[in-house]
Amino acid sequence: MTDYIVETQSLTRHYEVGGFTVKALDDVNIQIVRGEYNSIVGPSGSGKTTLFNMIGGLDRPTKGQVFIDEIDIAKLDAYELAWLRCHRVGYIFQTFNLIPVLTAQENVALPMIFAGIPRDKREKRSVEMLEKMGLGERLHHRPMELSAGQQQRVAIARALANDPDIILADEPTGNLDLNTGLEIINILRELNQERGVTVIAATHDMKIIDVSDAIFWVRDGKIERAERRNSS
Amino acid sequence: MKRKSFRGGGERVEFPFREAFWMSVEQIRKRLKRSIIVVGSIALGISLLTHLEMTNVILATYMSSMGTTMEAYQFWLIIVSLFVCGIGLINANLIAIYERYREIGTMKCLGAMDQHVMKLFLIESLIFGLVGGVLGFSFGTITAMASSSVQLGINVLGFTPLEAILRYLAITTGLSVLLSVVSTVYPAWRAARLNPVEALRHNV
Ligand SMILES: Nc1ncnc2c1ncn2[C@@H]1O[C@H](COP(=O)(O)OP(=O)(O)OP(=O)(O)O)[C@@H](O)[C@H]1O
Ligand SMILES: [Mg+2]
Repeated sequence: MTDYIVETQSLTRHYEVGGFTVKALDDVNIQIVRGEYNSIVGPSGSGKTTLFNMIGGLDRPTKGQVFIDEIDIAKLDAYELAWLRCHRVGYIFQTFNLIPVLTAQENVALPMIFAGIPRDKREKRSVEMLEKMGLGERLHHRPMELSAGQQQRVAIARALANDPDIILADEPTGNLDLNTGLEIINILRELNQERGVTVIAATHDMKIIDVSDAIFWVRDGKIERAERRNSS
Repeated sequence: MKRKSFRGGGERVEFPFREAFWMSVEQIRKRLKRSIIVVGSIALGISLLTHLEMTNVILATYMSSMGTTMEAYQFWLIIVSLFVCGIGLINANLIAIYERYREIGTMKCLGAMDQHVMKLFLIESLIFGLVGGVLGFSFGTITAMASSSVQLGINVLGFTPLEAILRYLAITTGLSVLLSVVSTVYPAWRAARLNPVEALRHNV
């Protein structure tokens, strides 16, 4: 039997807008194999971000379930949900979402505070992570003082801080030029291959889905097609 | 690769007071302009209160026969000044915290719980209350001394007991902390209970 790290069952999310119901996600059933690189592809407004939010436990579905390691995350209490976000999932956003008043190093150390890691260990590990991302010279720079690609690399280091086993990335290259975007995708792919992290990346850019083990095509809140590739 | 288990694993989620305190201090330092505005508005209200309070103390000890009761209009002036100060503070906090919605959303994605967000804001407000209280008290005492010595001559100051000054410093600072913390509860709670997606949607 295949080992699924994430599964959804009839996952549905409606938004009520001015008396209308927008079906952002409509009865979505997907399975994510542990350790694979997954792309979620679809046009703007198709529901990628909504799916990302549901899988990551950042928002609640209208109907249906998300299972992570066969546990229905709707059944988690506040502590368990925080634990999931802290230790299991690393989030990467199109807009980076770094904290502007903190330096690169402080941003990477932040999730480790919530994980209860002592200060000296935090500092050491965040410096190591940033050095691995090629940002050893930028430790004490604030996000505003970094290029978009550098900011996204800080965000990747932060996502990895507590050694998650799922990386969720919502259009991680959306604000980057093609080459910088490819660099970021290659970093994610390497992380996936070297550390066995399951990557789920949403994008509408066809050029960066070549690395995927599985591709889910989304349209109008539904999975139009699920494609498996026999890579690696 | 190792599997992390949901329940009973060794890994925790926490935000101990010590960490929250240092993060609050950092936040205050890094948003110095905002912090000065908040501390300033606390100090202003408190200094008005202190001015009335200490003028009474000075006059009462100078003219010891005249009793120490506060006049009714002064009492109401104090109540109104605290009320205005409190409303201003709630407003300042709503804006200051609203500006940080995205940051709150981000922290929640990294494992922060509602209570951790509350803790951060309440410690910040505690520090604001302390600093604003001491500053406001000092300023109000100085103006009270200045105006009474202008009215009654410089030797009036010799009559002000240090013990009374210290007692009022403690009471006033306590009041200031209370004012600051209470006016932060609602804005902080409104922000802390947002789910990460709602909080991240704010683009300030
Ligand atoms: N908070 C919201 N309120 C109302 N409607 C929403 C909200 N969030 C998303 N939607 C709607 O849900 C649908 C799916 O949106 P979603 O953001 O998931 O799309 P997306 O695939 O991520 O698009 P993009 O590529 O532009 O980021 C859209 O029609 C959108 O208008
Ligand atoms: Mg999107």
